[in-house]
Amino acid sequence: MKKRLASENLAGYAFISPFIIGFMAFTIIPMAVSLYLSFTSYDLFSTPVWVGLDNFKEMFTGDEKFWQSLKVTFTYVFAGVPLRLIFALIVAMLLNKASRAVGLYRTLFYLPSIIGGSVAVAIMWRNIFGNEGTLNALLFFFGIDKKILWYQDPTKALWTLIFLAIWQFGSSMLIFLAGLKNIPPSYHEAANVDGANRFQVFFKITLPLLSPIIFFNLVMQTISAFMTFTPAYIITKGEGGPLDGTLLYSLYIFQKAFNFFQMGYASAMAWVLLVIVGILTLILFKTSKFWVHYESKED
Amino acid sequence: MKKFGIIALSFILLFSLAACSSSGKETSGGKDDKITLRVAWWGGQPRHDYTMKVIEMYEKAHPNIEIEAEFANFDDYWKKLAPMAAANQLPDIIQMDTAYLSQYGEKGQLEDLTKYTEDGTIDVSSIDENTISGGKIGDNLYGFNLGSNVLSVITNDDMLTDSGVELNDEAWTWDQFVQMATDVQKSTDKYGTNGMNPADVFFPYYLRTQGERFYNEAGNGLAYKDDQLFVDYFNMQLDLVDAKAFPTPDVQAQVKGLEDDFIVKGNAAMTWNWSNQYLGFAQLTDSPLSLNLPPEQADNTALFLKPSMYFSVPKSSEHKEEAAKFIDFFVNDVEANKLIKGDRGVPVSSKVMEAIKPELTEEETKIFEYVEMASQNASKADPPDPLGSAEVMKALKDVSEQILFKKITPDAGAKTFRTKAEEILARNK
Repeated sequence: MKKRLASENLAGYAFISPFIIGFMAFTIIPMAVSLYLSFTSYDLFSTPVWVGLDNFKEMFTGDEKFWQSLKVTFTYVFAGVPLRLIFALIVAMLLNKASRAVGLYRTLFYLPSIIGGSVAVAIMWRNIFGNEGTLNALLFFFGIDKKILWYQDPTKALWTLIFLAIWQFGSSMLIFLAGLKNIPPSYHEAANVDGANRFQVFFKITLPLLSPIIFFNLVMQTISAFMTFTPAYIITKGEGGPLDGTLLYSLYIFQKAFNFFQMGYASAMAWVLLVIVGILTLILFKTSKFWVHYESKED
Repeated sequence: MKKFGIIALSFILLFSLAACSSSGKETSGGKDDKITLRVAWWGGQPRHDYTMKVIEMYEKAHPNIEIEAEFANFDDYWKKLAPMAAANQLPDIIQMDTAYLSQYGEKGQLEDLTKYTEDGTIDVSSIDENTISGGKIGDNLYGFNLGSNVLSVITNDDMLTDSGVELNDEAWTWDQFVQMATDVQKSTDKYGTNGMNPADVFFPYYLRTQGERFYNEAGNGLAYKDDQLFVDYFNMQLDLVDAKAFPTPDVQAQVKGLEDDFIVKGNAAMTWNWSNQYLGFAQLTDSPLSLNLPPEQADNTALFLKPSMYFSVPKSSEHKEEAAKFIDFFVNDVEANKLIKGDRGVPVSSKVMEAIKPELTEEETKIFEYVEMASQNASKADPPDPLGSAEVMKALKDVSEQILFKKITPDAGAKTFRTKAEEILARNK
């Protein structure tokens, strides 16, 4: 008997070994190296020089771009994620009604989010909002002679990025759709019998029952929004402009590491981001018990 | 039996993973003597096209060499190179610039090419010593100069005549430049000039016209002491922006390549560039263009012959000898240079220069004559930029943007830039 168990264990290990090897090689070891590098000054060419907490001190006291990039990233996340989720929920509710073309609509709405992270879309997006771009051409077509110069103003430029994030609401929408379908229609019927109007049904029944899904989406989208890099890099050509208005945190890390040859400092920034995202996630989890209702607990 | 099957299957899966990993990369421990060289450069499409032809020429003459080319535009090129350097996977021949030569050279990334010039692998018999020394830091020859460049103002002559502007490039002043750009704007409603981009090339030139320099000799601070120079330069640009004769940074940023540039599309009458870029512009623009000396170059002999770019060989290259041979071919072979024709600067070899002069078109001859003329009025070029120059360039760009977007005054900008630049340069020494 023991021998059989042992050999099955061996098979198990053998099957998961590719994942373990990959995980170690591409996640754990780089993270450990990065942690080490965050305490060094490393210019990519020479050997790293230990500097202790200097990187962190410089970051918090001497680097105004650090605070700027945090401000930009927080604006991006706190504007983009809620708007994206709200959009996703609205569209999911609309698509929840059965209709013949609903399969087509679902695909159409989902499409932007799967192609969204790509370089090609980012380039296209930059062209749409350019001074001579599609959006201004459309305005002209409708007789509005004024061009909107998206890239002249830091705030407007950041909003082009936020729009891109919102445009990719499709993946969240599908998850919401699945969640909506999971609500037994008997609740809605009971509520209608009791004379509840649409708002009451939504706020008192749909939303609470959907709250675990909302929570899930909120946590996942927040974490991923903090790590946004490709759109920022492509649309601003790596500059984070104008006037650092689109300098997302990950873009600043990239600049520090590869433009200014300060990989140690960049690693330190990466770990600070981990702590920030960790704290935010913790806050989300701790406050979740006030608004998230899981099926198993009865109020 | 079943257990055996499961275990065997799992190990097969495990080892097939190892087989998938080593795909593309061909190490030179191959069966035959074929050596693969990787060459990287920056430029526009015209440059990529002819360089590929030169490479084919070399491959035909050397059947045992295979060359893989990598290229990008100027901005992206450096961002690609840095990670490659960190991974010790730099191509065998990399194009280099004075702005980055110190960074790569002093940090031990580049091979000293002196021994190849001494043993004849790179034939320097028809190359002037001064031209070669432009690639030296101390006694180490980190980059081989590919051509000489001079700053220039390229003009669309039709636009200038239509606006009634007459340009005397031997004697014009900065004030006259401002006036001309404004006149062009008034008469054509287009920009008088491009954005004099990047600031880290043209502000130092302005300093030279006033008898000053940008970096100090030791490379640990700025040379010019008087911030009024900074203020004057940026006030000039602000005046032009107000006159709508000068594009604001966001418009300048939307120029993605040579093909989109202002003068090519007829949106500006003047563009500030290096002389070797003239050819690309001339090929892409419909109207006739001409090369002009930039303003106020005479009094302080502000002009200089800049090594336009170098070819360097990384220390990590496994084929340094072959790489040096390619550089020799690039610089000395007459047939190859009939294709290159001064796009990378006027050739450093006098033999090549004489041989290709008769083959040049009218546009190409203009560049050669321009550089020859300018070299009569030139003084010594600045040495390669010191360590930390990439950050200083970014700091200047940031301050320049803030000024041109009217977020800060040139006075405040001058002080901010000085503080930042000195901090960066001191930190990197």
